[in-house]
Amino acid sequence: MKSQGISRRNFIKTVGITTALAATGTVPPLLYASERRLVTFPEKTELLLLTSRPPQLETPLKYFRELITPNEALFVRWHLADIPTSVDLATWRLVIHGNVEQQISLSMDDLKKFEKVVYTAVIQCAGNGRSFFNPPVFGGQWLNGAMGNVTWGGVRLKDILNKAGLKTGSMEVVFKGLDKAVLPATPNFLKSLPLDKALEDDIIVAYEMNGRELPMLNGFPVRLVVPGWYATYWVKSLSDIEVGVKPTDSFWVKTAYRIPDNPCGCVEPGTAPKKTVPINRMTTRSLLINPEDGSQLKSGQPVELMGVAFSGGYSIKEVLVSVDGGMNWRPARLGKDIGRYSWIQWFYPWQPAKPGNYHVMVRATNSIGESQPLDALWNPSGYLLNNIEKHNLIVT
Amino acid sequence: MKTTILLCIGASLVYTTMALAADKGFVMDGTKRTITLPAPSVSLINGPGRDITSSYCNICHSLDYITTQQKFPEARWHAVVTKMVKTYGAPITEMNVDIITHYIATYYGTGK
Ligand code: HEC
Repeated sequence: MKSQGISRRNFIKTVGITTALAATGTVPPLLYASERRLVTFPEKTELLLLTSRPPQLETPLKYFRELITPNEALFVRWHLADIPTSVDLATWRLVIHGNVEQQISLSMDDLKKFEKVVYTAVIQCAGNGRSFFNPPVFGGQWLNGAMGNVTWGGVRLKDILNKAGLKTGSMEVVFKGLDKAVLPATPNFLKSLPLDKALEDDIIVAYEMNGRELPMLNGFPVRLVVPGWYATYWVKSLSDIEVGVKPTDSFWVKTAYRIPDNPCGCVEPGTAPKKTVPINRMTTRSLLINPEDGSQLKSGQPVELMGVAFSGGYSIKEVLVSVDGGMNWRPARLGKDIGRYSWIQWFYPWQPAKPGNYHVMVRATNSIGESQPLDALWNPSGYLLNNIEKHNLIVT
Repeated sequence: MKTTILLCIGASLVYTTMALAADKGFVMDGTKRTITLPAPSVSLINGPGRDITSSYCNICHSLDYITTQQKFPEARWHAVVTKMVKTYGAPITEMNVDIITHYIATYYGTGK
């Protein structure tokens, strides 16, 4: 929506019309805080609704029983409500400008002429698991479904930047998508990466998810993929790359998506950090996927517990499982390792001998020794959650 | 005046209610690919301040931004509504900020 300077009187009209529109909708009303319902959005299977405008949808845990998350099931997270719903590849271009030798404007065909790179990487929202924060924090109240493991196909950002030619004095690269704010007063979404990060080999502009075009809600036609880092950097519907000579001043970089500037990215619950830095690499996590928390099992019958483990770009070396609330830990069997950015599946055969409530806990460690804390660390924005989860399985 | 109306029609086209024809979930018109989003419809609990809240807090995003939050006290909601005004440019007067905050804290928060 292009809009300039809405006067107060016109503004009231806008509100009236928007409200009337909302009343005729197809998404049924939510009545209680933190209630979740399944909804179907274009190109998506039934996902859990967080918000409808802009769409924020999370993946039900059952999809994580597979190594690769299907395109239809991948979570959706936009910030601003004027999201792209229509893209014409005949006119769409990716523009690279700023402190470069020559501004370039690439069509999809141009883009596909660069060398193709394919790998599997976990995509995870910075606020995944925020609803488990205690004390609670504002922001999207995600359960654990704002993540997925996808095989991305695209071209190196570095190759595109080099084609435009970086001029001396370049400091950072700014990424913008086709999404826009509803009111002109709201800062449009953008993210930036320091130049040395942006030039890393593994960062790609992806035009494929699991061998197919991206769903519109996941950023058709292309999105940035910054493997190992939180998805806030993976700008969707990427259309504009600007090379800058000084740090951008955008709200989305300077104020939002920041973590306490210390090794744990955490502060005493309920307090504010003195200094912050932009969020970056993902923490190490492991999740129990099947059977789900609260499931009933039969005593004496063998089951295989399974789940996933991943970290911000370092392979998972070990996953330990406890079925007695953390007293005894045994290694789980790890599935096939398909690369350091992918999650790995873990499996743990178990035969509960007698009825009772069992507390199942899982803990992953990566190749540089990063692991998970027993108690959740806290920060005011609800990021980086990675504590060892305690699940309850009921054996009868 | 004209700008505003066009703006609203734009929004209604994007968020119109439509059964998706294609299994794929998108429509191709030549090289142009289009999806149609379902319209949001969240109705807030009836109570004093509800109408003002429904109008203003629905301009930039759907009202489930309110209903899906955890339970917070009024002071925390006041800070969020103030953020909507100061950071995101929500055109809400101080008096209405107070009415909205009080309404949300009462029906979706912990009260005081
Ligand atoms: C001028 C546009 C605008 C208006 C009007 C507006 N908001 Fe927001 N609101 C935003 C934006 C932008 C975000 C960030 C969206 C995101 O990241 O998903 C947001 C996010 C939120 C969040 C999530 C917490 C956070 O800080 O991100 C809550 C809660 C919220 N709004 C409540 C409200 C309430 C209550 C009102 C009515 C007083 C309101 N909003 C009116 C723009 C607006």
